[in-house]
Amino acid sequence: MIEIRDLYKRFGELEVLKGISVDIKENEVVCVIGPSGSGKSTFLRCINLLEKPSSGEIIIDGEKITDKKININKIREEAGMVFQHFNLFPHKTTLQNVSMAPIKVRKLSKEEAEKRAHNLLTKVGLEDKANVYPSALSGGQKQRVAIARALAMHPKVMLFDEPTSALDPEMVGEVLAVMKDLAQAGMTMVVVTHEMGFAKEVGDRVLFMDDGVIVEQGTPEDIFSNARHERTKLFLSKIL
Amino acid sequence: MPFFGLILGTISGLGKLSRKKIFRYPCIVYIDFIRGTPLLVQILLFYYGISGLYSNATGNSLQIDPILAGIIVCSINSGAYIAEIVRGGIQSIDKGQMEAARSLGMNERLAMREIILPQAFRRIIPPLGNEFIALLKDSSLLAVIGVHELLKSGQLYISRTFAAFPVYIAVALMYLLMTIVISRIVAYSERRLGVSDRN
Repeated sequence: MIEIRDLYKRFGELEVLKGISVDIKENEVVCVIGPSGSGKSTFLRCINLLEKPSSGEIIIDGEKITDKKININKIREEAGMVFQHFNLFPHKTTLQNVSMAPIKVRKLSKEEAEKRAHNLLTKVGLEDKANVYPSALSGGQKQRVAIARALAMHPKVMLFDEPTSALDPEMVGEVLAVMKDLAQAGMTMVVVTHEMGFAKEVGDRVLFMDDGVIVEQGTPEDIFSNARHERTKLFLSKIL
Repeated sequence: MPFFGLILGTISGLGKLSRKKIFRYPCIVYIDFIRGTPLLVQILLFYYGISGLYSNATGNSLQIDPILAGIIVCSINSGAYIAEIVRGGIQSIDKGQMEAARSLGMNERLAMREIILPQAFRRIIPPLGNEFIALLKDSSLLAVIGVHELLKSGQLYISRTFAAFPVYIAVALMYLLMTIVISRIVAYSERRLGVSDRN
């Protein structure tokens, strides 16, 4: 479903991604782990072109999105993104946060968009918070709204950029539970995470990145129990 | 005047942030010129300078309405200051807001209009209030081109009655009254709009 070939990304002199090639299948949950600065987030952000790749190609559903002629906004409609710091719109209510893009971008009627938004908020367990502003929500609740907001666009793939890293420990569970439901419902997901438990339990495949390359990939079992590369072993020994 | 200044300021503030040089450079020139020269000079330049140029070029004399001239110059002047306030407001909004909007498929224009500007405006209400107060007080400079604003009216009254002190005190108090009203309005709108935005 997503094919990535020879992806390079440079920020000036600094080369962050040094040739990433990977395929992601439909319904697959791919977890990306690795030390900070390894390029995980940049890799993820390239998939919906929040970062522009320096070279290489990315093909989503047969469409080469690294093509210059492509409509970037159309691509982004298809790839939902969840951020570490939620990035909810503080001047909009929870319901407006979720229904806004479908109304403004997909041109849905307000009634239809709000009906869907209510459904999504129910799905993430926050239907009673529809009319409050983000400032009145806890971190875990904010992130669940952010997930609902991304889902409202009916994306083909969901990208998660360390979705639980900014949360208090007791709130991590509720967000991971929503993500797990989503995975079980068959959503294609790419998750940059430090939650090894989640990667083990929900991930179909784990990519270990270091220094701008994919060092090793395999099933969670392969990576967590039988890592072949020294760098992977070293990283895992530090965090497990 | 505040209204035109706000529109002009928003447009040129956005222009200065534009990636396109054709938008950016004219805005920079406008802002730098206006902020770098005294308002008094701008008023005289616009009122006497333009009619002088016109009569030199055509031989006819041009009579600009001083009130209209005053409104135009003051709007252009405050637009330049407001442009910098607007620019600062936009840049103070977390980068993640634009990224989140873009990641939902919004184009840059839509994201700016729906997500960034509404938040930026809430944040710049206090400096905007300052600017409106300054604008009100600066309108006293329009006396030099014969606009019968507050100060000029006071001076005319003094020329008839020779009561300088009480009249100037009265003029000062009337300015004070007006600026207090403005700052109350600003404080009120800050409170009202700030409700949803406390994080």
